[in-house]
Amino acid sequence: MKTTLQSNFCIAVVIWLLPTTTFSQSIEGPSFEDLLAGFSDPNRWLTYSGDYSGTRHSPLTQINPTNVEELRPVWTFQSGTTTRGRGWETTPLLDEGVLYVTGSNNLAWALDARTGRSFWQYRRNLPDDLTYGASAPVNRGFGMLGNQLFMVTLDAHLMSFDRRTGEVLWERELADYQIGYSATMAPLVVGNKVIVGISGGEYQTRGFIDAFDPVSGERIWRFNTIPGPGEPGSETWPNDPQILAQGGGGTWMNGSYDPDLNLIYWGVGNPNPDYYDENRPGDNLYTDSIVALDANTGELRWHYQFTPHDVNDWDSNHMPVLANIEWEGEPRRVVMVGNRNGFFYVLDRVSGEFLLGEPFTATTWAREIGDDGRPIIVNDGSLGCLPDPWGSTNFYPPTFFPGLDLFILTARETCATYVPELPANTRGQSNFGGTVFIDAEQGYGALRALDIHTGNLEWEFTYPSPTFGGVMSTASGLVFAGDHEGNFMAFSAATGENLWHYQTGTRIWGAAAITYMLDGLQYVLIPSGTTLTAFATRMP
Amino acid sequence: MSEFTSAQEVNPLAADPRAARAGGSIFRAQCATCHGADAKGIQSIEAPDLTLMFTRSESTDASVFRVIREGVPGSIMPPHAFPDAEIWMLVSYLRSVAIAGTSAQIDGDPRRGMTLFNLNCSRCHRVDNLGGSLGPDLSTITNRRSQDALTNSIRNPSAVIARRYKPVTLVTEDNGRIQGTVKSEDAFSIQIMDSNQVLRGFRKSSLQEVIHEDISLMPSFTESVLSGEDIDDVLRFLQSAR
Repeated sequence: MKTTLQSNFCIAVVIWLLPTTTFSQSIEGPSFEDLLAGFSDPNRWLTYSGDYSGTRHSPLTQINPTNVEELRPVWTFQSGTTTRGRGWETTPLLDEGVLYVTGSNNLAWALDARTGRSFWQYRRNLPDDLTYGASAPVNRGFGMLGNQLFMVTLDAHLMSFDRRTGEVLWERELADYQIGYSATMAPLVVGNKVIVGISGGEYQTRGFIDAFDPVSGERIWRFNTIPGPGEPGSETWPNDPQILAQGGGGTWMNGSYDPDLNLIYWGVGNPNPDYYDENRPGDNLYTDSIVALDANTGELRWHYQFTPHDVNDWDSNHMPVLANIEWEGEPRRVVMVGNRNGFFYVLDRVSGEFLLGEPFTATTWAREIGDDGRPIIVNDGSLGCLPDPWGSTNFYPPTFFPGLDLFILTARETCATYVPELPANTRGQSNFGGTVFIDAEQGYGALRALDIHTGNLEWEFTYPSPTFGGVMSTASGLVFAGDHEGNFMAFSAATGENLWHYQTGTRIWGAAAITYMLDGLQYVLIPSGTTLTAFATRMP
Repeated sequence: MSEFTSAQEVNPLAADPRAARAGGSIFRAQCATCHGADAKGIQSIEAPDLTLMFTRSESTDASVFRVIREGVPGSIMPPHAFPDAEIWMLVSYLRSVAIAGTSAQIDGDPRRGMTLFNLNCSRCHRVDNLGGSLGPDLSTITNRRSQDALTNSIRNPSAVIARRYKPVTLVTEDNGRIQGTVKSEDAFSIQIMDSNQVLRGFRKSSLQEVIHEDISLMPSFTESVLSGEDIDDVLRFLQSAR
C-alpha cells in the first residue's frame, strides 16, 4: 500500500515538473544547440573533445595550481575487459550526472558519475573471425544526441542506443569486416547527422567518411578518401582501378567542426600497403592528409597532405585543433595538427593555406617544410632514426592553451629502420609490406609545449619511455597528461612544472582526461588499463 | 579442445628447407608488427620474444601451432585462420630463428666447475634455486646462449647488460650512495634491487641524484682470475645442471 502511494506521488511530481527546463533536459537529452554550446554548461561533457574545436581546453577553475596537490581518487570503475597491447582509449560523455562510456571489445556502460556504479551494460556479440578489429579491439567513445547514443563496432557497424536503457535502436553495416574493415572512433554528431570513419588501412580497404541520419539510420553522404578512376586526386595514383579500390586511407579518429563555415576537419590514414610503394607511385591523395568537408553534403572544400607518398605508416588520424588567433598581426581562423611525421602544422582553416610547419621531434625524415607546403625529404627510412611507425605523436589528443598560445602534446622520440617487401595482398589479412626494426634502447617520451607562432619548444617534461597518453588543459592554468608508466599527472601550463601525480598501475594509452562539475565539485576522469578513476580535491 | 586443434603432433614440413623461408615471409607480413621484424618481441607492447620460445622445455612444434591457431585468450594475440600448411611454415620459421644455445657438450669438468661457480658466481647468480639474485638465473642459460657468448659475458660483462639488470647508483639526501640494478622506473620513482639483494623503492624527490651507470655490477673475470679452462669447467657445470 505504501509502495503504491509512493509511486503515485512520484508520477505526480514528475508531471508537475515537466515544463521546467531542468527536467525537460533530462527527458529530451542534449540538442544540437547544446552540442554547439560546448563547455558553456560545466555539468556536461557532450562530445569527444568537450566541444567542437578539439582544443580539449576546459574553462573550469576550481582545481588550480595551488590546490591540485589535494587531488585524490574518489571512485574507480572496473571494466572487466582487457586490451592487452593497447589501452582503454575512450572518452566518456557526461550529461545529468550520468557517464556514457565505451570499452574495448565493444562493451559499453551508463555509470553514475557520483559513484562509478553502473546503470546498464552492453556487450556486442562479435564474430570470431574479426580482421583488423581482432588486433586492435579498442573504442574511443560514444556520440550523443537527444536520448540517443551512437557507437561504432569492431565488425564495422554503426549502432544507435537508447541512453536510458542501453537498448539497441538500430544498426547499420559500414563495410564488410571480413575484407579488413573495422571501426573504433567516436562518432561526431553535427546537426542531424552522425558522422563516422573507418579503420583497416593496411587491408584491401578504401577509406571513407559517412554521415547518417540519427533517427532513420539511413546514410546521407559518403566521402571516399581514395578517389575513383578519373576523379580529382586520381592523378596522384597509378591508373589502376584495383589499386585505387585498395588504397587504404582510414579515417579512424573523429574530426572537429566549425559551425560558422559549416566545415568538418578530419584526418586520413596511411596508403596501403604501408611500407612497400613500388605499385603506388605518386602522392597518393588523400592519404596522410587533412580534409575539410561541407557538413551538409560531404563535398571536399580543401585538403592538405602532411606526408606525400608515405612509406612509414604515418597515418594523419589526429584531432584537428581549431582556434581563432592573431597571426602576424591579422586575425586568422586556423587549424593546428601535431603530426605523426614529427612536424607541428598551422593551416588557415578557411582556405587550407599552409602557414607553419616545424619539427617537434628529432625526425630525420625531413627537417623542414618548403614554402610550397611540401616537406623536403632527407631520407626514406633506410638510414634509420626516423620516428617509428607509431610516430612522433599519434591519435591521442593534444590540447591548445589559448591565453598562452601553447599547443601541448605528447611526443615520442624513437628510432627505426624500415625494410619494404612485396606483400602477399590477401583478402582479410594485413598488408604492411615489409618490416620495421625499432631500436628499443633509444626511445623516450615527453610532454612538450610548442609556441603556435613559431613551433618553438617552450617547455618539456620527459618520460623514461615512449608514451601514448593524451592531454587536457583547464583555464586555471593546469595541464593533465598520462604516461606509459601509468602516471596521471598535472602540470603548470605556463612552466611545465609537475604539480601532482598519481600512479594508476598501468600505462595510460590513447586516452585523455575529461573534467566537469557535479554538485559544485570539480572532477577529473582518466581511463587506465581496465579502470576508470575519478579524482577530486575532496571526497564528495 | 578447439575444432582447429590438429591431431598432427609433428611438423609435416620439418624436413623441407623451403618451409622456414616461406614462413619468414608470412611472419613479416602477419606477425612482425607486434613481435618485431627479428621475432625478438617489442617490450613496449608486451609482445614476447619468440626466439626464446623453444628454450622452454614445454614448447613443442604442436604447442606453437596451437598458439598461432587459437591465439592467447585475454591477450591481443588473436586466433588465425591460416591454412594448416602456412602455420606449419611459421613453426618452421620460428624453429629456424630460435636461440640455439650450446647443443654440443662443453669440454670441461663439471665438479671443478661447480666449485669455481660457488666461489666466484653464486653470490649473485642462481642455479637450481641455489645462489643469489642480483644477476640473472643461470639454470638454463646454456640453452639460450652459445659458449662463445657466455665466455665473452664473463670476460666483459659490461658489453651487453640485460634489461632488469642495468646498474644504477642512487645518491640519497645525506650523500649516501646506494648501488643496485633497476627493476622499474618512471618519472617520479625508481625500484631497484640493491647490492645486498634487497628490493627497495624510492621516490625521486627523496634522492639527490639517479645515476645510470655503464659498468655492470658484475666484475670482469680476466685470464688471471679465471683461465679459459676454468670458464669451460663453469659452463660445463651449468650445462650439466639444466
